[in-house]
Amino acid sequence: MGTPGLWSVAIFLPLFPLSVIFNALFARVGNAPMRAIILLAWPQVGLVLFGILPPGRVAGGVVALAVLGSLLYAFRAIALRDVDRWTGYIATSAWALLWPALAHHAAIDTLRLYALGFSVPLALLVLVADALKRRFGAAYAGLYGGTVRMLPRLAGATALVVLAAVAVPLFPGFFALVAVMVTTIPEQPWLAVCVGLTWLLWTWGGIRLLQGLIVGPGEAVAPVADLSRVEFGFYVLTLALLIAGALRLPGVTA
Amino acid sequence: MSLRLGQTLKIRAMAYVAGEPIPFFWPMRSFIHHNPLHGLEHHPFPEAVARGERLFQARGFLPRSGYQRYLRLGKVDRAALGAGVEAFLAQREAVAGIDLPKWILALMTRMDRPVVAGSGLAREADVVVALRGGPIRGTVPGADHVRARLREELLDSRPVYEAVDLLFGTGVGAELDELVIKSCLDFFDEGQSVWSMPGRERGFFAAWREIARRSGRLYLRGLHIGRILRDEEGPEAVIVRVMETLGVGEGRWTTYFTRELARLHGWAGFIRWRSGARHYYWAQRYPADLVDFLAVRLALGLALLGERARTGPTTEPELERFIEDRWREAYLRHELFSGAVLPAMAARVERTLAAGRPARIERLYEEYVAAKRAEEARDQAERLQVLAAMSDGQEALSRLSAEDLGRLVGILRDFERGEGMIWLNAMENRAVERLLGGIRPGAPPADGKRPFAQALFCIDTRSERIRRHLEGVGDYETYGIAGFFGVPVSFMELGKGSEVHLCPVLLTPKNLVMEIAVAQGNDDVTALTVLEKAFHELKESVLSPFVTVEAIGLLFGFDMVGKTLLPERYNRWRKRLHQRKPRTHLLLDKLSREQADSVIRAVQRAVIAKAIAQEFGLEAEQIHDAVVRELREVAMGHAQGAPKLAAMLGLDATSEQAFIGRLRTVYRINPSVVRLQMERLGRLGFSLDEQVVFVAQALKAIGLTENFSRFVLLVGHGSTSENNPYESALDCGACGGNQGLVNARVLAQMANKPAVRRRLREQGIDIPEDTWFFPALHDTTTDELRLFDLDRVPASHVVYMDRLRKGLLAASRLCTQERMPTLLPSPASLSPAAASRYAARNALDWSQVRPEWGLAGNAYFIIGRRALTQSFALEGRAFLHSYDYRIDPKRRLLETILTGPLVVGQWINMEHYFSTVDNERFGSGSKAYHNVAGRFGVMTGNLSDLRTGLPAQTVLDRGFPYHEPLRLITVIEAPFDHAWRAVEEVSVVKYLVRNGWIRLLIVDPERHCVDVYEDAAWSRRPFPGTVQSQPAEESVPS
Repeated sequence: MGTPGLWSVAIFLPLFPLSVIFNALFARVGNAPMRAIILLAWPQVGLVLFGILPPGRVAGGVVALAVLGSLLYAFRAIALRDVDRWTGYIATSAWALLWPALAHHAAIDTLRLYALGFSVPLALLVLVADALKRRFGAAYAGLYGGTVRMLPRLAGATALVVLAAVAVPLFPGFFALVAVMVTTIPEQPWLAVCVGLTWLLWTWGGIRLLQGLIVGPGEAVAPVADLSRVEFGFYVLTLALLIAGALRLPGVTA
Repeated sequence: MSLRLGQTLKIRAMAYVAGEPIPFFWPMRSFIHHNPLHGLEHHPFPEAVARGERLFQARGFLPRSGYQRYLRLGKVDRAALGAGVEAFLAQREAVAGIDLPKWILALMTRMDRPVVAGSGLAREADVVVALRGGPIRGTVPGADHVRARLREELLDSRPVYEAVDLLFGTGVGAELDELVIKSCLDFFDEGQSVWSMPGRERGFFAAWREIARRSGRLYLRGLHIGRILRDEEGPEAVIVRVMETLGVGEGRWTTYFTRELARLHGWAGFIRWRSGARHYYWAQRYPADLVDFLAVRLALGLALLGERARTGPTTEPELERFIEDRWREAYLRHELFSGAVLPAMAARVERTLAAGRPARIERLYEEYVAAKRAEEARDQAERLQVLAAMSDGQEALSRLSAEDLGRLVGILRDFERGEGMIWLNAMENRAVERLLGGIRPGAPPADGKRPFAQALFCIDTRSERIRRHLEGVGDYETYGIAGFFGVPVSFMELGKGSEVHLCPVLLTPKNLVMEIAVAQGNDDVTALTVLEKAFHELKESVLSPFVTVEAIGLLFGFDMVGKTLLPERYNRWRKRLHQRKPRTHLLLDKLSREQADSVIRAVQRAVIAKAIAQEFGLEAEQIHDAVVRELREVAMGHAQGAPKLAAMLGLDATSEQAFIGRLRTVYRINPSVVRLQMERLGRLGFSLDEQVVFVAQALKAIGLTENFSRFVLLVGHGSTSENNPYESALDCGACGGNQGLVNARVLAQMANKPAVRRRLREQGIDIPEDTWFFPALHDTTTDELRLFDLDRVPASHVVYMDRLRKGLLAASRLCTQERMPTLLPSPASLSPAAASRYAARNALDWSQVRPEWGLAGNAYFIIGRRALTQSFALEGRAFLHSYDYRIDPKRRLLETILTGPLVVGQWINMEHYFSTVDNERFGSGSKAYHNVAGRFGVMTGNLSDLRTGLPAQTVLDRGFPYHEPLRLITVIEAPFDHAWRAVEEVSVVKYLVRNGWIRLLIVDPERHCVDVYEDAAWSRRPFPGTVQSQPAEESVPS
């Protein structure tokens, strides 16, 4: 694989420092559905590009850079309070983890599913963040608490979507992470450790985000409407489908 | 740095004064209800609440929506609300075109959020523009204004690290709290930890300093505490050095210390109590006080700040400079990290501050302030429009000038600040009306008939129900008296080595009562006890828990299943496995010196015999009295050597001396212990004079001086619950958070003594020979009434026992029937038997977070004759103290009631009040997250301040208050002058009344009127006469 090809793939399966491009673009787009589409499409473009480029070996240094970059973004996400930036960082961190699988010649179709498994919860999180912005002016942790009491459905959807985004077991992200770790352990166990650590940091960041969004004493704000049953049902159904899909992910059901 | 004595004493005095607003926290083994604002009781109630709110960052009244709910339930006097509003407006100028009373009443009754909001950025003109839908433009506040606000917010009243946190989001305060809590858990542990902190005998600060200077944990966190702590320095010197390093002016140190203590007021309150509790075993062994606590806290705080010294200001002068030089940045930082930032701009503010470019910060400041100002103006306008719509005043609002609008907002702001008191007064007025509608003043007609039984219950609110039912099921008379029956007792239970004080915490008992077995106890330790002990030892060592869980963990699964699925049967079965306590009597009479000496000799001989049996494996028949006597003489130093023992066991001189040495040290057979025991025995029991005084005082206090029935029951109370650290909170407060049975047994034993009765007769209290005083226990969880010391009942009474038992059983069941629906998930009518079954299950169910409501609901304290309230169901909301003013011409008895029971009642009432209005800060939150800390308190989660106050399950029901937060409405039935003079003579109560901590009513049975003390004045009203039920204004699902 030639260097120009690698560079183009590295933009879409973000390798540090090219990952800045995705995050800058993501920050500029204000429209929530558009953001969701970007999250769903971005890694797929990378994988398509990878598929059409002449086959070649992914250098070990690239894999190491991807995993360390992923770890870096996961670490940075812990301190973030802005849900949009957090989503962008977790997306960057998650997609970079596809590189070890690419280096081990995993089937592109399987990786597309893995990428989708990472992206769909994040796309849902963008929609949840939009719902929060419409109600409170921002999706930002620590400014308003107590949504679990005031808006139980929105708080529930937020909690479930964040848990899916940080790849808790049964969601596809978890199985994708396990698959990446399993493929890396035999040759580069330290990379597998880094992947595990990245996952730990995601969950840490996710819990911090939830702490700042849904628990604590609620602010006395003007009454705001909760998610409708239909909207809440949409989130629950999508997540249920994700779980069902995750259980049939290649390499998991075998 | 070494301090002169004067400086040291000054620091200690400052710490003492700083600690005064911090309420005591007693160990939970003997839970003491207390007023969390006790230290502020010298202020009037509204002022103390405002101070308490600031100090503890808490709420002193319910949120408005809570009061509105009570209004809908008909529990608020609307007229009183109107009067309160009128009184408020009387001091204020009208606003043209605005019907202020209507607006304010609408605000109170219909709007559930504050009408005045914002930080004050928006001016009146901005709000006017916003009301008219125009664009809001204007100048941004100047540097001086911003600096002044920041100084006020950050420098005047906060510890330095709080200001740093608010400017840099550093979280030093939370980290500091965590480190201090861990240090406290290490030092104050009372046996929960297997490995205890070394050097605790030297005191908290000294022990902590030794650990902290070598602590890898602190070093790894980058805290170079060793640089702050020096060998020669005491805690006072450390405090001085830290405060000087932080640059805080000495004039503000006391306030600063108070703020530091209030951050962890549970721990500070515990240390404050502990440092003054001389009898407390753990305090004697491991001393600590607030100076130690402050030194630890300040040193750790300085270390944490030092960690950040390179990146920002960490002292007060540095903070001052930062605000002076970079005020725009300081403003934006404060907005972001205090949570006041406009949500829509939060991310931008964060990014700009992180970039740190002054020009960008300046631009953002201008933009941010303009946006915030517009936002606040729009928000204020929207709130005013909502209120105007509720008051039919939209048009008037739209016509207001900026000046009038400013005045309107000012009035509304002032009103909202003091609104809580108006609601509280209106709720109390309704409660007073209800009470006055139900009471029946005047003496009951004396029919001269001797009742079948008389029962003295504790004044506890839970006694009200059972008293009413007992009176209803037969010919019973009941009385209310403080649950320790006026006898302060220091009690040593059979098999226990320590004393428990069974009296209100205000008193220190002088007399010791010991319990002795009268039946042969089983000396053999049961197999189950041995197994339990072995398991605990396995569990508490270092490695064995890993194996233990694997090996026998499953057994505990059976335990869990049994406790969960069949709590009653399983617990009954488990109880049978344990040894039963033998029948006991109390040693009540004072011993002469000879008797005391004889007792000690007997005990020593028993100990020596046991020692020989244990050390040499001999049986009882092999141990001769002569050998025991000889060993005692030797151990006491009256003789040399023990030839008989040596000869009997073939011991050489070394072994013989070693055993004698062990007798002196391990078994404590030595002269100094004897001296201590003689001292203790000197406190043992009561002299005849004392017994007569206590019995006479108890009977006179309640007005029971004649017409004694055959049975006089002295009913103490206690509770039964499983898995409940708050168990003692449900026991008798007048007995120091213990069960009241022992005090009942003590008084009964005294009153049954012929010598005491003879002396009482001389005082005019003629107790007939066939009157027998019975101790009994009211289990407040199950409402069971159990009689004790039945072995002493005279044969002449046995024939009546069946009738008595049946009466008690009937009262118990009826009481449970009345009470249980309040504990069920959905109110349902139960038969008495079914209700009793539910109650019994509650008492044994380890998953039950609310075995009973305890004292929740308390609202009244009634001092008077039973006839006053006998026909009125007070629903377990009243402390009832019997009192007949006719036998107390000098008011001594009334003063005693006011000094003790009423003050304790007020503590209980205030504890419930504040735990209800702010359960998170003044209460202890949900029990479900509690963990026992150090065996003396609970924490939320694995690390928190000690949770003081009452848990949510005690005062709240499904998120709404179950306890109605009212100040104690106290009624004294006596002629006005008689009652008021008694109140004036008890200074504690006088100030409680004058400062509005207690609402006082005097029911004058001679003039047939009620005097009510309100707003520092008396108002007189006639008796309403009949009960007026107050229908709910709207039906509200509870």
